[in-house]
Parts: sequence; structure tokens; C-alpha cells
Amino acid sequence: MDIKERYIRGVLLVCASLSVIAVAAITYTIIAAGWPVFTEYGVFRFLFGAKWLPDADNIQLGILTMIAGTGAVTVCALVIGGPIGILSAVYLAELASKRTSTVIQAFIDLLAGIPSVIYGFWGLVVLVPAIRNYLGSTKGYSVLAGGVVLAIMILPTVVRISADALRAVPKEYRDGSYALGADRWYTIFKVILPAAAPGIITALILGFGRAIGETMAVLMVTGNAKQFPTSLLEPITTITGNIALEIGYSWGLHRQALFACGAVLMIIILLVNFLINRIIRRAAGGIYE
Amino acid sequence: MNDIQIRIRDLNFYYGEFQALYGINADIERKAVTALIGPSGCGKSTFLRCINRMNDTIDNTLVEGLLEVNDENIYSAGLDVTELRKKIGMVFQRPNPFPMSIYDNVAYGPRVHGIKNKAKLDELVQKSLEQAHLWVEVKDRLYKNALGLSGGQQQRLVIARSLAVEPEILLMDEPTSALDPIATAKLEDLVQKLAKEYTVIIVTHNMQQAARVSTKTAFFLNGYLIEMDETSKIFTAPKDQRTEDYITGRFG
Ligand SMILES: Nc1ncnc2c1ncn2[C@@H]1O[C@H](COP(=O)(O)OP(=O)(O)OP(=O)(O)O)[C@@H](O)[C@H]1O
Ligand SMILES: [Mg+2]
Repeated sequence: MDIKERYIRGVLLVCASLSVIAVAAITYTIIAAGWPVFTEYGVFRFLFGAKWLPDADNIQLGILTMIAGTGAVTVCALVIGGPIGILSAVYLAELASKRTSTVIQAFIDLLAGIPSVIYGFWGLVVLVPAIRNYLGSTKGYSVLAGGVVLAIMILPTVVRISADALRAVPKEYRDGSYALGADRWYTIFKVILPAAAPGIITALILGFGRAIGETMAVLMVTGNAKQFPTSLLEPITTITGNIALEIGYSWGLHRQALFACGAVLMIIILLVNFLINRIIRRAAGGIYE
Repeated sequence: MNDIQIRIRDLNFYYGEFQALYGINADIERKAVTALIGPSGCGKSTFLRCINRMNDTIDNTLVEGLLEVNDENIYSAGLDVTELRKKIGMVFQRPNPFPMSIYDNVAYGPRVHGIKNKAKLDELVQKSLEQAHLWVEVKDRLYKNALGLSGGQQQRLVIARSLAVEPEILLMDEPTSALDPIATAKLEDLVQKLAKEYTVIIVTHNMQQAARVSTKTAFFLNGYLIEMDETSKIFTAPKDQRTEDYITGRFG
């Protein structure tokens, strides 16, 4: 290897390693900063405590309500946004003319560029009052409001990646299905969607990651109440929302607990990624090995 | 019994502005193998896809003329394409099993046509796989993914998939082009056995293959059907000079 090649290789390797280093460094910082909570306060009390009273004399730092809150809005977002996103992708990839598809895709991409506070504003002005007035929620700030806002926010990711997966399904599958007498709908639902399933599940995982990590928009419409989500119409707090609200004035163990919240969030994301990937592998029966 | 199952009169076919078939006339016999030969791009696949109306799936195409299957014009307005394709199976150049289990692949067609009964499906799956000479090789792995099969097995699976809807006619577009010599020999053998019960039309670039498996051969050139006759005649005493040039390898 001459000097030049070695040099270029070196530069490329450093670039390629940056993301690895970034992930490692961030994870380390967060866990280190929150560590005393796990050791001094106790992992179990932290994760499964239902009370969050950082200012009380008898300090309470249980985040279970917030984990539940985050879970509720995220699931709500996927339940609403997932099917809509996948069906949009089917329309774009299978039915729409090239022109229509390009136009719609352009709008969906614009959706991805809107800052999350703007989504929050919209939710605040439109969704929250609507939920209060038409669905009989006392405050309007609710799991549902957060779920709907997030559903819209994850659409671009879900649609684009699902549509790509659908478009990548070989034409031979379609021909095979048509040649057996199947019509377009049967072909789409029985052959094309299943064949694109691994890509579509990736789309949903990325949508999930976006939804679980979203802070601002959700914070603005879910009402900041540290309680278990007993109904879609009740307010909650999410892990991220709480960090954003309290990090500014927190100190000591309280501050460390907020870092620990961040660590918990990261662990949840990694775990879900890992589990879902394994489940797909198993379900796909080794097709894609 | 040399009766005619497919009757084609003055068939023209267009991809948009481009005319791919010119005034084709042909009679295709029931329960015999007809081979279609000719240089690349001469319209063999296009012709084949006219017979089960697969060209309908391509935008901007036009068919003119008469194409009758069992004395019924398949391009008449009220014709049910699903029923037509049930009657006419198709095997493609590249084996294209669906990414699902072997069983589900074979059961796909029957399910399309509304068969849900498990016992009936089981029976059709086994029968079709046996007809395609694949049963012995796959009977212990019916629920494994079909993409795990070898190319030759996949092609036989696809044939079984076509047979499961109990068709009368099988269209095969260069079914052995992706296979090795052994798999090819097996498939040719299979084609001849199938011809006892089915009408087979097979496109091939391989002259020996056409000579081995078919009773009739049609030679296409530039969108025209130049000559169609008994296979033995085409290969020993063709009437048209261009046919002779092609089979002796002087062009194409
Ligand atoms: N979808 C299509 N759109 C436009 N033109 C097409 C299309 N399919 C085929 N053609 C053209 O029609 C002509 C006949 O094509 P066809 O595929 O029927 O030939 P072929 O005899 O099957 O060739 P090969 O032996 O290479 O498979 C060719 O000139 C081809 O370029
Ligand atoms: Mg062809």
C-alpha cells in the first residue's frame, strides 16, 4: 500500500467511524450522568415508581407514568399513522400515475420538513379544541391529540420507505399472479404486500423511532399530567416532554434522574429495534437470508 | 384427434405506435406441443401473451384480428379474463415462485378461484406437484419457503402452480433458459408428458429442444409468422428460404 492509498483509507475510515463513536459517546455520557440514580436511588424504584415529586422533602423519582404516557402516544401514532402510511404507499407505488405519484410524494416530503413546534401549534389550535368539543374530553389535551400529531409526523417516513419497498417487488411476481387469474387487488394484498413486508416493517420501526423521540409537538398537546393513561381522552406526560420541561431548573438528584430518563429512552429504542428485527426474521421464515 | 383448440386469424399487435405482430394466422392443436422459434425480438413472447391476454397488463397496447380459444373469441367484450387465465396457464422465462411456502405457491391459483376447503387444496397441491415431478423432492418441506429451491425445482414448482388451477393450455416462454442441462432435460421430459393432457405452446431458442419436444413448429421473423408445419418438416424440408436459413444457423 502506498502512502496515498493509506492516507485516503485512513480518512474514509475516520468518517465511517464517526457515527459509531457518536453513538458510543452519547450513550456513555447519558448513562454516566444518570448513574447515581440507578445506584443511589435504585433502578426498581426509578422505573416502577408511580410518583414523580422531585421537589418534595421525601424526593420521589418514579417514571412509570411517563413510560406509560410515551408508550400510549407512540402506539396511538402507529395505530393511526401506520395503516394510513402503508395504504398511501400502496396507492403511490401501485395505482397512481407517475405524475400524480410525484406530486403527492412531493407534498409528503414537505410534511417532513415542517418543524415540530408548528405541528404542536396546529394541534393546539385545531386538535385540542376539537377533541374537547366533539369527543367530550374535559381538557382536550390528551393521548389522542399527541397520537394524531405524531401520526402525521411519521407519515413521510412510513410512506416513502414503504413505497420504495413496494416498488422493489419484482415484476415477475405480479405477472405470475395475473397469469393465474388474480386481479389487481388480490395481487396487491396477497403477493406484493407480503413480499414487501420486511421493508414495510423497517418503515414502521423508523416511524416508531421518530414518534417515541419526538418532544415538542407532543408536549404542547398532551397536557403534562403525570398520570397513567386510562383513556385516549386523558392528558399524560411523555419521557421526552418531561426532560424538556424540567431540565432548565433541575439540580442534583433531580437532574441526574432526567439524564437517566434519557438513558431509559435509548434503551427502549434499542430493545424494540432488536426485538422487532428478530420477530421479522422468524416470521419471514428466512426468505431474505 | 387433431382438432383445433386455438384459432388465430389476421392478428395484429401494437405497443403504442410500434407494430410487433403482423397478420398472424395459425391453428393450434389440442393436446400437442407447438414450438415457437425465431430470432430475438421477432414477437414470440408478444404472441404468447396475446393468448392469455397478459398483454392487457401493459399500458397502451392494441390487438386487432381474431383469436379464438375453444371457438370463443377471447377479445370479445364480455369475456372474463380471470376465467380465461384459469384455462390457460403460463410459465415464464425466469422461474418466479412467490416468496411464500411451497404449499402456498401451489395453492395460490385455486385460492384465487375461490377454493378454500383444506382437503381439496391439499389434494390439488399434491396432484399438481406430482404432475410436475416435484412431489418426491418437496413433500417433506411443503411449508418451507419456495425461494429456497434450486432453479430447476423452482421452474417445476411454477409449472405445478399453473397446473393447480386445472388449465387446458400451458404457455411456456423459454422455460429452460435459466436452467442447467440436467434440469433442462427433466423439464423437456415433463413437457412431453404434459402434452398427453394439455395443449402446450413453448417458446424456445434451442432448435434441438424444439425438435425434441414439439409436434408442430412455427417460425417467426420480424413480427410475421413465416411458416408453421409439422416439426419434422420444418427441420428437414422447410418451404421458406428464411426458415431454412434460420434453422441452419445462417442468421439470427
Ligand atoms: N412492453 C413493450 N413495450 C414496447 N415494445 C415492446 C414491449 N415488449 C416487447 N416489445 C417489442 O416488441 C418486439 C417483440 O418483442 P418480443 O418480446 O415479443 O420478442 P421475442 O421474440 O419474445 O424476443 P426474445 O426471443 O428476445 O424473447 C420487440 O421489438 C420488442 O422490442
Ligand atoms: Mg421473449
